[in-house]
Order: sequence, then structure tokens, then C-alpha cells
Amino acid sequence: MPEINVTPLGAGQDVGRSCILVSIGGKNIMLDCGMHMGYNDDRRFPDFSYITQNGRLTDFLDCVIISHFHLDHCGALPYMSEMVGYDGPIYMTHPTKAICPILLEDFRKITVDKKGETNFFTSQMIKDCMKKVVPLNLHQTVQVDDELEIKAYYAGHVLGAAMVHIKVGSESVVYTVSVNKYAKSHISAWIDKCRPDILISESTYATTIRDSKRCRERDFLKKVHETIERGGKVLIPVFALGRAQELCILLETFWERMNLKAPIYFSTGLTEKANHYYKLFITWTNQKIRKTFVQRNMFEFKHIKAFDRSYADNPGPMVVFATPGMLHAGQSLQIFKKWAGNEKNMVIMPGYCVQGTIGHKILNGQRKLEMEGRATLDVKLQVEYMSFSAHADAKGIMQLIRMAEPRNMLLVHGEAVKMEFLKGKIEQEFSIDCYMPANGETATVTTNPSVPVDISLNLLKREMALGGPLPDPKKPRTMHGTLIMKENSLKLVSSEQALKELGLNEHQLRFTCRVQLQDPHSDPDTLHRIYTHLKSVLKGYTIQHLPDGTVMVESIVIKVSSSAEDTNAKVLLLSWSYQDEDLGSFLSTLLKKGLPSGLC
Amino acid sequence: MEDVEFDDILDDWFIESLKTYKDLHVYQLEHPTQVIEWTSEKTVCVAGYSLSKNEILELRLPLKLFADENKGLCAERDFKVAHGGFTDGPVRRLRHIPGTRCVVTNDGLSSDLQVWDLGGDDSDVIRRTGSIAGRRNVSERGSRIAARLSSPPEVLHGAQSSDIQLTELTSGRTLYKLETDSTDPLSFLQFVSDTVFLAGCCNGSVYVTDTRTSAAPQLSPPPASSGDSVLWWADASVGPHPSSCRVVRLSSSGQAVVSDLRSLGGGAVCQAQVDVQERCCNLDHVRVSWAPTLDDCISVSGFSGVVQIYNTCGWSMELQERQPLFQHRGHVVSSQQTDDSTPVFTTAHIWHPERPRTLLSAASDGSVHVWDWVDPEQSAAGSPIPRT
Repeated sequence: MPEINVTPLGAGQDVGRSCILVSIGGKNIMLDCGMHMGYNDDRRFPDFSYITQNGRLTDFLDCVIISHFHLDHCGALPYMSEMVGYDGPIYMTHPTKAICPILLEDFRKITVDKKGETNFFTSQMIKDCMKKVVPLNLHQTVQVDDELEIKAYYAGHVLGAAMVHIKVGSESVVYTVSVNKYAKSHISAWIDKCRPDILISESTYATTIRDSKRCRERDFLKKVHETIERGGKVLIPVFALGRAQELCILLETFWERMNLKAPIYFSTGLTEKANHYYKLFITWTNQKIRKTFVQRNMFEFKHIKAFDRSYADNPGPMVVFATPGMLHAGQSLQIFKKWAGNEKNMVIMPGYCVQGTIGHKILNGQRKLEMEGRATLDVKLQVEYMSFSAHADAKGIMQLIRMAEPRNMLLVHGEAVKMEFLKGKIEQEFSIDCYMPANGETATVTTNPSVPVDISLNLLKREMALGGPLPDPKKPRTMHGTLIMKENSLKLVSSEQALKELGLNEHQLRFTCRVQLQDPHSDPDTLHRIYTHLKSVLKGYTIQHLPDGTVMVESIVIKVSSSAEDTNAKVLLLSWSYQDEDLGSFLSTLLKKGLPSGLC
Repeated sequence: MEDVEFDDILDDWFIESLKTYKDLHVYQLEHPTQVIEWTSEKTVCVAGYSLSKNEILELRLPLKLFADENKGLCAERDFKVAHGGFTDGPVRRLRHIPGTRCVVTNDGLSSDLQVWDLGGDDSDVIRRTGSIAGRRNVSERGSRIAARLSSPPEVLHGAQSSDIQLTELTSGRTLYKLETDSTDPLSFLQFVSDTVFLAGCCNGSVYVTDTRTSAAPQLSPPPASSGDSVLWWADASVGPHPSSCRVVRLSSSGQAVVSDLRSLGGGAVCQAQVDVQERCCNLDHVRVSWAPTLDDCISVSGFSGVVQIYNTCGWSMELQERQPLFQHRGHVVSSQQTDDSTPVFTTAHIWHPERPRTLLSAASDGSVHVWDWVDPEQSAAGSPIPRT
């Protein structure tokens, strides 16, 4: 039976690194190539030995597809392509291609320069890796080769995130990390053209029920407001393409509403970078940001101004958005150093911080930090960790399946024991199988690909003319024909048509058999007796007693002649074409038994 | 997606909430629940009540609620579905059996109970392990269920006063039956000590029973009120001594009466006319509850989409109108209901057993809120003092 194999790579049950191998229709595809942020040794990379024990991966993979720029989805890409070795195409959307190398380089700098690691990819490797990237446009079918085609769809998780549709022949797989409301409302529109055999999604947050976005925003505003009210300063280290813009719009609206006067600043490095990327990828941004960008130039806010480093020393309350997001260098770190000593101040971390960064340390509760030159910094300000990231929760996964209508569901990155209920829920509601392979384990999904074949009109007419009940999809009926595969199409034609097309001569094959029969009657009488006998035995068959002295059963001809040696014996001559072989043998066996005595 | 016209109301209430709530979490379940029951310090059970198949879920509350010291460092705001199971019918009552991993449910259509095992670490599936027959087959309102810590585990249940029985969970053996001829439907059943329980009837009368004695239970008549068609609900505050226990009874017309357990039959301690808003057609979801750690505070829900908190300290014997100390309007302003003909109404609420002002509430649109309100009465004289 045809099957699709899916294997999440990696060691053990832990989550945090996405790298999924899919084998479909003889093609091998790698979906994402992430780094596990929690480990310092080789465990942070996916286990590529599953693909091949030694040597490069090029011969074993047809392509690599990256869903979005988060490090747990692309962090191991340079390692895979340059240190393990892969020269084939790496597909990702345009924004992902633009942003990935920046994050990889940042990450590399922190890991190598700050933590002094050696077995890590270099800047040059990142550049070489990105040279192998083939950018994808939304809704554009890309032929990876003659048989494998892929297509990217808007997912909305982060800028440039895509849902990928992979097709080989009539088998297909859809892979998605997380999908926002906008994308969800469009899934059913394009995906119902061919229900994918498998829908692959992450299940790390599948058993959560998320607190509303409004409550997260409320908490953010409350914390900022409380700090401002007591005269403190709020530092918000951000990544240029993270939630910074949304948080700015939120604060601006709040400030306007509450008539607040404290200044809000935005560091210029942030503005330039963000402006650049949003302009480039305007079609990829969400409604809110696009509306803001269209209404006014990105950062021309009423209450938010460009930051100058001297402002950090100004007295009184203020809010500052500065890069980089993990407090590992640059302006945000400088400001942090100045404000850390005052307990009236606050730092709000809106995202994950990589190990080795100041952000990571303070989020782990460290209150004394070692800075350059052995100086220690006392962290007295309030540290707040707020998560604004969107992940697929329990309800989201059910909605996704409801809209995409896959034939099978596959969830990766969950603990099987904690997912029995969800599996049961999916199987019950949708009557589909739900697979949950552990890392390193292969899930084999049997598919039932349909092969479309055209049937010639002649053949169809002939089959219809045979009579009997109309064709029923539940009751297959045997038919005779010839399957011709020409170029990429399959056609079912009658034998004659096939012979004609192939320019072959038709040969007829007839079997003849002699049966001896003891019967004292005259030849015509014996024939008549045979006719009566057969009519009673073979009900439903066309049996004719012809004027030329033969009995015909379908195409089988029966003749009677007297035996030369024995006057009471008859010789029956049976002849049939090979198509009626079964019936012919049956008749000869039957007649060999002789005729019943009661016949008239 | 929020309605455009609701955006403004949401904004007003939202901005106000920065000052009126310390914490606020808003969740959307796939299906509304009528039950919220603590199953441990950090987990609650909810369940659907549609007529066909439903889910029972055991939810772990977000870590952020419990991270007192390093609250800022914890970003975890979500519920986690710790265990889940499927039921064949509606779940209208759900009670956790203390000291076990069992919950007992009733579908509101008969008086029979279903027994479930919530599961441990090795599986996340809630399985049905058995059932307990009620004394009567068909019951309009279904059975009320009560339990307290006992070994072996026992469950108290009944649909009306003549049906009440105490059943041993594992064996199904009846340990005690309330002997009375009157068949008043119950609206409240609760243990106030290991052996004493209260059974409140819809007509407002209350039975006080001691399971150790074979003597007839004490029956207290309903409070002096208007009309026969008035329905009553009740709750008892469980104090260190059964004698310090107080009972609050609430009528469908909004009369709230507070009495001492000892003198239930005699006069009330105090009473008030509470602000019962637009009545929705079905009052099955009315809940009145004592705050576990705030002296004198009660909470009311089920009459509309609002949960109200009243401070009974300062109530007198006169039936006067009293304003709530606090109102949680979250379910109304952020309603996800698309059908405008039936406004959203609250279906359940519970207090956190230790955190003085933290409540969980659920509504008919599937929303579940966890909220920690700020006492608007700043002065020491007026504000309720937490016991701990």
C-alpha cells in the first residue's frame, strides 16, 4: 500500500527544536531545521544520523523547507548545510530569507563571543547557507523536480510565516506551525481542492487554553502605568520585527485615552530597521500594522518620539523601546545599566531570551550581574516577563482540522501520555487517525491515492449495453479493457481500440473439444435434449437452438454428430473462444456426465 | 473578532479594569460549563451541558496566579488541560470527593450519579468508573451532590428531601437515609461538619441533619417572604466550629437572608434586598456563596451576566435595598455570543479557597474568567478583613 512516512528528528521527548523528515512518493523532504535553545552541546542540533550515518545529506534529501524565522525552526540550518553538508535547495518565503541571517548572526555572536563556544557555525557559513535559499512567493506552485511540487500559504504567526503544501502525484501533506485568525478563515477556500493526506502541526501548546490577548495587553498597560505613576522609567527591549509595533500602537492609544504626559521613546536603530522590513514586506503584515503604516509613516506617532542616548539621564518617568531584544549588547543594554539600580524602574521583556544574554539571566531571577571589567551590577528594578507570542492551542488545532479536512492528522512535539485525550477528541470528532510520533520515531500513514483514468466512450457504451444493474461505486463490476499510459495520462479503452492504436493485428483463439455421449436418439433429437438440459441448468445465460443444427451458449457452439463406430454413441463438438474459457470448461465437464434420463 | 460597537464598551471597562482588578484572565472554552469545582489547590473541573456528548476537563490554573514572590518573572497565563474525558449526556452538577481523584456528576435529568476517575500522571484521560443509583428515577431538577473528607470515601446526594442518602463510593452501600415524607425539591446540599449536613429546598426551608442520630432532622421554615412561586438557594459558611456556621438564603426575587445555623428556625441575623437585574428565563444557574476568607462577604451570580459581591456587615433586619460592594461585568462586555436574543448569563462561580479576592466565573457563551478584584472601600472601617 502506498504510504507517507513522517519522522520528527531529535533526541528524546523534549520539545524546542523543530526538524521533521517526510518521505512521500519516493521524495525526502526536511521541514524546518531548528536549534534547541536549552542545550549547550550537540543535543541542540537535530539528529541527522537518521538520514545517513556519515557523509553529506544532499543525496538523501530532495529539498528543505523553512516555515518561519524563529531560531527553534531555522537555528540549525547553517550547521546542517555547511557542517554536515547539504547542497540542495532550501525553500523559504522572502521575509524569512531576509530576516533569518540576521537572527542567525546575532545568535552566533552571542554563543561564540559571549559564551566562547567552538563547535559552532561561522558568519561565512551563514552566508554560504543563505546562497542555497530559493525564495517562495505566496500561492505560487514551485516544481522542485518533475514529481515534487510545493506551495506556500500565509500563516500569520510571525512576519513571513508560511503554511506549506507538498504534493507528489496525488498524495499531499500540509505543514503548519501556527495559524492566525485571518489565515484560518481562508484555509478552507484553497485547501478543499484536495484534502491533504496528512496535516502536520506542532502540539506543544495543544493542551492549553489561552488567556485572551486583551488581558495580556491589559497587564502590560497596567505595569507601564503603575511605573509611570510612581515616577519610574520603563525599558522595553525589543526585536525590530517582533511585537514592537503593536505595543507602540497600544501605548499610543492608551496615552491618548488617559491623557498621559510622560514621554515615550523609540530608539532610531529600531525605526530604520523596522521601516525597511515593513516597507519591503507590506503584503505580509497584519491589518493593524498596515493600517498604521498607510495612515501615517510608520513611526510618526503623537506621543512617541525618537530617542537620543542623552535622554536616558533625564529625570522623571518615561518609556523607552530599544534594541536588541535580549539585552545582550547595544542601546538597550546601555540604558539597562543606567536604570537597573533604581527600584522604581521597570524592564519588560516581551519575548524569549537566549542563554548567555543578560535578558536570560534576569528572567531567571538573577539580581547581581557581572559586567565587563569585573564590575557587578545590582538589579533593583522590577523585572517583568510578558509573553505575546501566538501558538496553536487546543481550540486552534481543532479549528485547523475542521477547515483543512485532512485524511489524517499528525502532531509533533507533545508528550504522548499527555495527549491521549486530544487524540481521542480528534479521532471522535473527525473520524480520522491522529498520529503522535516521538522524536526519532517514524509514523507511517497509509494513503489511498486515487489514480484518475479516462475511459473511452465506446468502452463505456459497451459496458452499459451489457445490461444488468447500473454501476454502483460500492459494488465493483469486472470489466475488460486495456490500460494505455501515454505521456502523463491514463486511458482505458476496448481491446480492439488498443490494438488499432498500437497497430497490432487481432488474433482469435478458439478451443475445441469432443465429448462422447451415449444416446440412442437421432442427432437432432439429441441436440434438442442437450438444449433443454442446458436451459434448465444454466439459467440466466443466453442459450439458443439455431436452425443450422447447433446450440449456442453465449459464444460457445455445440454440434452433434453420430459416432462412426457405435450407433448409440454421439460425438459432441464444443467450440469456444478463449474469453469464454470458464464457461466452456464447465460445459464440457457437464456434458461428459451425460444427459439426465427424464428429458424429453 | 469583536463587534465594532462593542469595542467602545470594552475599552471603557477595559481601562477601568486597570484600577478595579489586580489580576484578570479571560478564557474561552469550546463549550460553556455550568460547573466549576476545585479538585486540588491548583486544578478545577469544568464540563459541558449540551444534551448529547460533552467533555469533562480538569484544568490547571495558570502558574502566574500562584507565583507570589517572583510573579513578574512568570509569563505563564494559560490554563492547561491536565485531564479530559467524554460524557454521554449533560453535566449539571459535579462534585469532587475530597481525598480521592474521583468526581461525581449528575445530568440534571435523573437522580442517578456517574463516578469518574480523573487520572494520574500516567494518562490524561478521565474515565467513568461506575454509577450510583438515586432513589427516584426521573427528576426534573436532578440530584444535588455533597461530600466531605472521609475514609472510605462517601457521597451525599438527593433530588428532593425524601431522597437524600449517603452512599459509600466504592461499594455503593447506603449508609444513611434522611427520613421524611415531604418531597420538596432541593436547591442546596452541603456538609458543615463530618456528620452534620444541610439540605436546602427550593421553597426556602432547610433541613439540618446529623448522620449519627436516628432522630428526625430539624426543619426550619422558609424566611418570611412574598409569594409561593418564589425559589430559594442557599450556602453555608464553614467555620472552625459548626456552631459559628452561618447560612445565607437568596430568593428569586432578590431577598437575601443571613441566619446563624443554631437559630435557623428563629429570626434571621440580617437581610437585604439585593440588586437582581434582568431576569433571564431559566434560573437553574443561580449561585450564592460565602467568601471563604473575607468575613461577611457573599457572592451572587446567575440572574444575569454579572457576578456581584456584597458585604453583609452593616445589613440590618430591615429589608432594605443594598448595593453590591463589587460587580464583575466582564462576561457581559466581552461576550462572544453571536445570538443577540438571549443575553449572556453567568452559569457558575467559585472563590479561591485561600486568595481572599480571587474568583473564577463561567458564562453561557463559554467564557471562563479568573479575577482578583480590588476592594473599592479603601477605609479600614468598611473593608472586609481577610481571616488569614
